[in-house]
Amino acid sequence: MSDKGHDVDLTRAKQNTGVWLVKVPKYLSQQWAKASGRGEVGKLKIGKAQGKTVVSFNLNEELTVVDCSGEKISSVRSPREHPFTMQTVGGQTLAVFTESSDKIALEGMVVQRAECRPAVSESYMKLKKLQIEESTKPLRFSQRLEKAITTNYKPVSNHSHNLEYEKRKKEEGKRARADKQKVLEMLFSAFEKHQFYNIRDLVDITKQPVIYLKEILREIGVYNSRGPHKSTWELKPEYRHYQEGQEEEKEAAKME
Amino acid sequence: MTSLGSQGSSSSSSTEYVVRVPKNTNKKYSIMAFNAGDKVSCSTWTQARMERDMSNRRIYGEEETQEGAAGSEFGKKQREEARRKKYGIITKEFKVEDQPWILKVNGKAGRRFKGIKKGGVTENASYYIFTQSADGAFEAFPVHAWYNFTPQAKHRTLTAEEAEEEWGRRNKVVNHFSIMLQRRLREQERGGGDEDEEEGEKGAKKKKKGGRGGDLRIHDLEEDLEMSSDESDGSNGDGEDDEAKAKAKKEKGAKGKGKKKKKKGSDLEGFEDSDDGDFEGLEVDYMSDESSSEEEEPEKTKPNKGEDVPKGIDEMSESEEESEEETKNEEENKEEEEEEDGKKTPVQVEKKKKKDSSGESDSSEDSDIEGEAASALFMVKKRTPPKRGGGRGSAGSSRTGSRPGTPSIDNAATSNTLRAAASKLEQGKRQTTVPSSETPAAKRLKMEPSPQSSSGKSTPQPASGKSTPSASDVLLTEDAVRRYLIRKPMTTKDLLKKFQTKRTGLSSEQTVNVLAQILKRLNPERKNINDKMHFYLTE
Repeated sequence: MSDKGHDVDLTRAKQNTGVWLVKVPKYLSQQWAKASGRGEVGKLKIGKAQGKTVVSFNLNEELTVVDCSGEKISSVRSPREHPFTMQTVGGQTLAVFTESSDKIALEGMVVQRAECRPAVSESYMKLKKLQIEESTKPLRFSQRLEKAITTNYKPVSNHSHNLEYEKRKKEEGKRARADKQKVLEMLFSAFEKHQFYNIRDLVDITKQPVIYLKEILREIGVYNSRGPHKSTWELKPEYRHYQEGQEEEKEAAKME
Repeated sequence: MTSLGSQGSSSSSSTEYVVRVPKNTNKKYSIMAFNAGDKVSCSTWTQARMERDMSNRRIYGEEETQEGAAGSEFGKKQREEARRKKYGIITKEFKVEDQPWILKVNGKAGRRFKGIKKGGVTENASYYIFTQSADGAFEAFPVHAWYNFTPQAKHRTLTAEEAEEEWGRRNKVVNHFSIMLQRRLREQERGGGDEDEEEGEKGAKKKKKGGRGGDLRIHDLEEDLEMSSDESDGSNGDGEDDEAKAKAKKEKGAKGKGKKKKKKGSDLEGFEDSDDGDFEGLEVDYMSDESSSEEEEPEKTKPNKGEDVPKGIDEMSESEEESEEETKNEEENKEEEEEEDGKKTPVQVEKKKKKDSSGESDSSEDSDIEGEAASALFMVKKRTPPKRGGGRGSAGSSRTGSRPGTPSIDNAATSNTLRAAASKLEQGKRQTTVPSSETPAAKRLKMEPSPQSSSGKSTPQPASGKSTPSASDVLLTEDAVRRYLIRKPMTTKDLLKKFQTKRTGLSSEQTVNVLAQILKRLNPERKNINDKMHFYLTE
């Protein structure tokens, strides 16, 4: 489940591959997720204007359609022009690594950081308005019902659950005292599995009446009234061997 | 699918690239951020290994108690679950994805980094990695996570408890290298050998060096002895000797001060917490036997006030003073014969004692005198063993009898009553305060006879090249009273103040009686100043 110690593939790192780290607005990444085919999403224009590098991204036409919840056809389109603001890498050395299911590889170093900004336009404002509306809607809201609901909590003479319970009890009947040896066997096998038992659980396991069971337990076991395992029964020390060979020893103890 | 087009605008030319966001990639991109200051260059890596740091699993993951048989209860799990639900306890899952990375570069001898995931990266905006592919198009990959990698220290660091301890001693410890050294010795892992050399080198470059040895120290007094000799451990000693002269006096002063303070601190540990500023407002009794020249008294009080904890400007001025002395001492030691050695150390010891006693007596009661006497005794007893034999032997040239410093103090130490010891201490203190307040020129001369005369006698100090009389007599004698009254008119109250019970060792009743007798004998003249009866004498 967890990869233990992968050797990092440093081939790309050695080539000094440079990459760009670009911060992209959420809505844009959502649009990109809808891209089809090879994943072409738009065009990146890199140019020089008055000595400065100007980078801009143009979103493809088909990806400008914005889905919004609650409306069938939206009149809002996401903007298409996105100038990039370039930033320096500065105080951090950023490297990119990839994890795939079987290996980790170093892809390269970040040489340029950029922020993708939408060109401020009418459509962008509308889009933003839509987003704000959606985000301000509370997650839970109260809605008034026209009619009262009458299907719950009807009065009943006896609940079905109760009826089942009573039937089950009648079937089982009262618990009968079985043979002492048999009960002891059951107890020992139970105590093999766990060291501490509640009296209720023992009654369930052995199906014996409580008083009878308690008598037997008093012979072979001890009751913890205090301590970490409070109000539980456990076997007496001489019967207790929680390692190998406990079978024989317990038998031996039983015989005494 | 590149389309190279140049736009027709006048001053700009641009190229267009297609941007693709590949859909089917199974690689998850993450950012590995290093601090620029760590100077990490991925191209220098020959080999790297990365794995998740699972050390948090036992905290977050459920502690699985052993199932079955011993120690387990029937239905324990269900009960625990039911209990948690009832109380609404939600335990965080241990997600492997969120665990830090451990990056090991260049194998065992290389650097180690720990990469901690940075939260909130993908919440409001997405980061994409734009790489240029072979066909000139840009490919954009979304960044899955951001990890900040920090280098992990290979050198040993202090644990939290040790750091707290050292913080408490930050004003006293000057030699910081010994801290780690001590730790190592304490753990008894490696011998101090390699580390000492390392530290010595570093020490040569660094400014502050203290005299704190690294070996098991029975008593801090030994530091002082070690400082002056060449036997001090390893390169610390060497560093000292090299640097003592080369570096500014301040360091030496600071070191000596640091040592003294450290020792004082340790002495005081049993008695009171010594916090900064505790002793600031204390009144210090001016040494009554000194002449009342201005420059002496402040200088006197400063060493007295020095106590154990440095207090900013005071400390600096003190350390200047002391450093002067000490450098003097050091220089003499190096230049002169070994007798200086012994001479200096008794002076130091006495200075220390003076500090001790001044610190104690000012602020506390008689019991503290006993305490300090005890510490003085302790000090002295411990001191005698590590004497430097050579240095001591030839010292008898310029003084009377046996080695002045140690034996005389030994005599004091062997006195039976603590009171007597205390008073002797006072004498010793007085005698050393005298030299400490002298001008440097006279200092040496002062120091020579001063240990000599601290032989536990209460006679005034012999002429020591100083013009003004300088008997450091604490006892309530006629002479002392006469001197006071000659100087200026005083009331009985003033006189009593001069002969404090702590200093004279007499009870207040006795003091009053003796003083009354003395006054009867002297029969001073009376004058009424400010409605109070003043006595004075004219000679």
